Formats: sequence, structure tokens, C-alpha cells
Amino acid sequence: MAFLEINNINKNFGKAVAVKDFNLQVEKGEFVSLLGPSGCGKTTTLRMVAGFETPTDGTVLVNGEDITNKPPNQRDVGMVFQAYALFPNMTVAGNIAFGLEIVRKPAEERRKRVSEMLELIHMSDYGDRYPYQLSGGQQQRVALARALALSPSMLLLDEPLSALDAKIRVSLRAEIRAIQRKLGITAIYVTHDQEEALSISDRIVVMYEGRIEQVGTPFEIYNFPQTAFVANFVGTLNTATAEVIDPTTHLLQIDGVQLQADEGLEGKHKGDQVTIAIRPERFNFLSQERKANVLDCKIENITFLGSVVRIQVAVGNNRFYMDTFNNPYLALPKIGDNDQVTCSSEAVLVLRS
Amino acid sequence: MKASARVRRFPFWSWVWFFLGVLYFVMPLYALLDFSLRMERDVIGLKAYASAFADKEFLQTFGYSVFLAAMTIIVSIILIVPTAYWIRLRLPEARRIVEFITLLPFVIPAIILVFGLIRVYSSPISIPFTEFSLMAPLTNSRFGTNILMVGGYMVLGLPYMYRSIDTGMRTVDVRTLTEAAQSLGANWFTIIRRVILPNVRTALLSGAMLIFAIVVGEVILATYLGVSAFGPYLLLLGRARAFEPAALSFATFLLTWVAMGIIQLVTGGKGEATAGAH
Repeated sequence: MAFLEINNINKNFGKAVAVKDFNLQVEKGEFVSLLGPSGCGKTTTLRMVAGFETPTDGTVLVNGEDITNKPPNQRDVGMVFQAYALFPNMTVAGNIAFGLEIVRKPAEERRKRVSEMLELIHMSDYGDRYPYQLSGGQQQRVALARALALSPSMLLLDEPLSALDAKIRVSLRAEIRAIQRKLGITAIYVTHDQEEALSISDRIVVMYEGRIEQVGTPFEIYNFPQTAFVANFVGTLNTATAEVIDPTTHLLQIDGVQLQADEGLEGKHKGDQVTIAIRPERFNFLSQERKANVLDCKIENITFLGSVVRIQVAVGNNRFYMDTFNNPYLALPKIGDNDQVTCSSEAVLVLRS
Repeated sequence: MKASARVRRFPFWSWVWFFLGVLYFVMPLYALLDFSLRMERDVIGLKAYASAFADKEFLQTFGYSVFLAAMTIIVSIILIVPTAYWIRLRLPEARRIVEFITLLPFVIPAIILVFGLIRVYSSPISIPFTEFSLMAPLTNSRFGTNILMVGGYMVLGLPYMYRSIDTGMRTVDVRTLTEAAQSLGANWFTIIRRVILPNVRTALLSGAMLIFAIVVGEVILATYLGVSAFGPYLLLLGRARAFEPAALSFATFLLTWVAMGIIQLVTGGKGEATAGAH
């Protein structure tokens, strides 16, 4: 039995469907991210776990206990909000102690716990400050300490880094992950930032239009996207429509050029149309004789992206990106040149329709 | 260069308009103060103030009006804070209707309100078509009249109190603060007492001050409900004497401003309206 079980959850707001047939099992101590674009239902799902929304159908179980209709103040979950939500009338220490006062912890125990929490977020000297005297990153760290002060069974984070600048985001996400690992707490993290989700999570749930598109480790989500949406949402991906030539040997054709895939054509027939995806970094310029997966192309554009150089090539009517690591001695083709690019058969992903 | 020149230029017309505005508000006050100090011929003194404060009826009526104002403020807070809070939190679609209702005292004169109150509450309230009486006439007792006075004043102060509180709540992210407190185990009472009220304190005090000013100077309700409040006392005094009403008016005005100054001092610098700031 998983620690958190979300079973067949549906949530409608009037006629609008926010979450549909959502099922997820989360193990104790796991860090799971809900990733998707705005309006995909990820925050609604988190709010149903927190108790701020009630599912139209389905159940939420924590440790086997059905908490679907339990009020949020009795759920034993800590929550961190995008807008920090620190109480402006209380000091940092007052904010952290708030939950402890609610459960009537003795004053000495409260002081000790507040001090532990301040140490955990490396803000021991900030206890007497008010929220308006802190930067955004500091406020969010206090919000995290406040959520953890009661040692909740689960930590819910609703886009906690969205309001911060890029550098703080990167350092704070590492800090959040380190604290989560140190405490061994189960965490559900909502984000629309794929890089954030890939870097921080044990598993990622990619959502689109209220449904789960794919659940997997960051490695699986990035390298083996199962749907066109996941493929396009997570990282940059080249997609094209291909015709099945021979399903038994996984042979495909795009614009008259044959491509070899490794798998994904089970149940397909000759002549079927499928969507294929190839990551830009899986393409190379042809350097030695190869028979399969060689695509004649024309160089259309070259863009420097710092550590990576992105080359746009035209293959028939398709436009593909090809990424190559930048180095000062890189021999780049010229725009307008005709060339040949290639990729291995396992780089050709056949997406689920 | 042009921008810096613009900044350095003396804003002559701004200062002219500002000065005219100050004159408009300060001149009548100055005239009132000056008049109140000239009770004795060719002498500037506080005789009018001494005479006004020595009157027992002044203390009695002023004390009673302060009591009514305090009760009105307490009842208004109890009624309006949860209402405004709930509308912000759960019923945003009802805000326009409630705002419209709160504006009604501006268009319905106090005289209509008081006659309505007298019409309804001067006879026993019975269950229709039965002899069973639910409530004795409120106008028959001092306690009942006090209830009517507080109720009436609450209606008169509603636009000010509701708008003050609603504006105060607009400056804090009420919904997120509520959810944060809930996730930390707080119940509704604790959320309102420890999170919402302290964060709308300035707005609350502003509303309270306005209600205080309205109640202390109010004449119509007090006159028609036959109570000895400060407003009717001041009116009667004005008919009989010249300098004392001016002294009392100025003293009341001063009291209000001193109270507002204290509020600013007490509530300043605690970082209200920063919730959710990025």
C-alpha cells in the first residue's frame, strides 16, 4: 500500500472539467512533481490533497486513511504557496511558531522548534524580522520552515519558486530538495517549469487538460516520452509524421527517406501514419559510411545557445533541430549548404497516438 | 537634461492649488476656534470651554454618545468583518450586491430610517394572524431604545465601515493567508482573530473613527427616539448660547483628530499590506 493514494479523482467546476480520471500512488519519502502548462489541473489536484477543494468523484488516502472529506486544518499536511503567504503581522519566529501555538505546544518546546527550523533554513539571525523586511527567497524559506515546523506527514508545494528570479530559483530548489531528503518527508510539488521538475523530482506526473499524460522518473520522461504532448512539453523535440513501411522490422518513411526505429510499432500495419520524435542532441552530421537513418538536409539556420549550438535543417518538408556541444574549434557548416544528418535507431521514438 | 530640469522646476501651480485647498479646510476651523476664544469682550481666553465643560449635561450626553459609539463600533465589527471576509473568500460574486446595500444609507435619509424604526418597533411584534407576541415594543424601554439607536447608527455607519474593511482586505491576500493558516491547523475563529483582524487593523480603526464621528454628532435618530445624546444637546445649546457650542464643536473635532493621530502612531510600521508581496 502506497503512502498517498489518489484514486479515480475527478473535479468539475460547473461544466468545466479541471481534473479527469486522476490516479497516483506516492511512496513515503518520495518527491513527486506535477508538471504541466497553466490550466492543466495540477494545482487543483494539489488543492484536493490539501483539502482546499473537494473532488467531484474519487478518494484521497493517506496511510490507508480516507481523507477525501477531511477539513484542511485536520489533514496533517504542510503547504508552501507561490505567494509566500507569510502572516504580515507576525515576525519570522511568530510565523514559524503559529502552527505550534495552534496545537498548544509548551512555550519552551516552541522556542526550541523555531530555533531548529531557523537553523534548517540558515536564517537563525532573522527570527525578529517581519516578512516585509525579507527578500522573496528568504520569505519562501520561512514559508517552508513554517510548513515543516509541525512535522507534517506530507509537504505540498504550489509553484513555490515561480515568483523568484532565475538564480534564486536554482539555489532554492536545491535547498528544498536537500531539506526534503534530510527529513525524509513525502513531497508533492507543482510546477510548470520542466527544468525544475526534471532537476528536483524522484518522479514526474505530466498533466494536460486535466489528465495524466505520463508518469515516470525524470530520465524516463525526458528520454522516452510516450505522447506528443510530453515530447513537446519536456525539452525541445523534433516531431514528424511518418508512414509505416514494415512494422516487424520497425521501418518507417518520412518524405521518401527511410528511418529505422527500435520499437513502438506493435499493432501497426504497413501504410499506417505515426508520429515520431527525435531529440535535437541525438542528431549528428554523417561522418562515416552508414546505410540506415541517413537524411539529406539543407542547413537553414545556426543559433548559439551558450554551451550548445542549435542547427536548423530542412529534411524534405520537415524542419528539424540538431544540437551539438559548443567548442572554440567546432567546424560548423554554412547556412544554405547541403549536408547529411543521421541518428541511431533507438533515438527514433514512435509516440502513442 | 529635460527630465532633470522638470524635476528641479518649482511646481508653482501645484503649490497654489494645495494652498487654496488648505485655506478652504482650515479657514472655517480657524474661525470656529477664534470665535470660541472670544467669549469675553476684547479678551482671548478659554472661558467658553470652561463654561461648556462645567455643564453636567455635557458630560452626561457626551458620555452617553461615546457609549453608543463604542457599542456601534463593536457590533459593526462583529457583523461586518466576517461578512466582508466571507464575501472576499467564498462569495466574490455577491460583492456588488453587498456594496450596493452598503451605499443605501447615502440615498435614504436618516429621517426615513428613524420613522421606519419607530413604526416597526413601537408596537409588539407578533406572529402574523396569532395573538402570540414575540417581542415587546423596543421603544418602551431604555434598553430597547439603546438597541434601536445602535442598530440605526450601524446602518448610518455601514458605508464607511464596510468600505474601510473591504479596502483593508483588498491589500492583503485574504484567501492565501486563510489557506496557509488552515494548513497549519487553525480554525475559522483563530484565522479571523489572529490573521485577518490584525492585518486589517488600520482599516478597522479608520472605520471605527468615522463611526465615532457620526454617532457623536448625530441629531435626527437621537431626537426622534427621545434620548439625551450629544448631538441634540449641542443643537439645543446652540439655540440658547453662542460661544459654548463653538467651543464644544472645536473640542470634539480636536478629540477626533487626536484619536486619529494616536491610531497612526499605534498602527504604523508593522508591515500591513505586504502579504503576498513579491
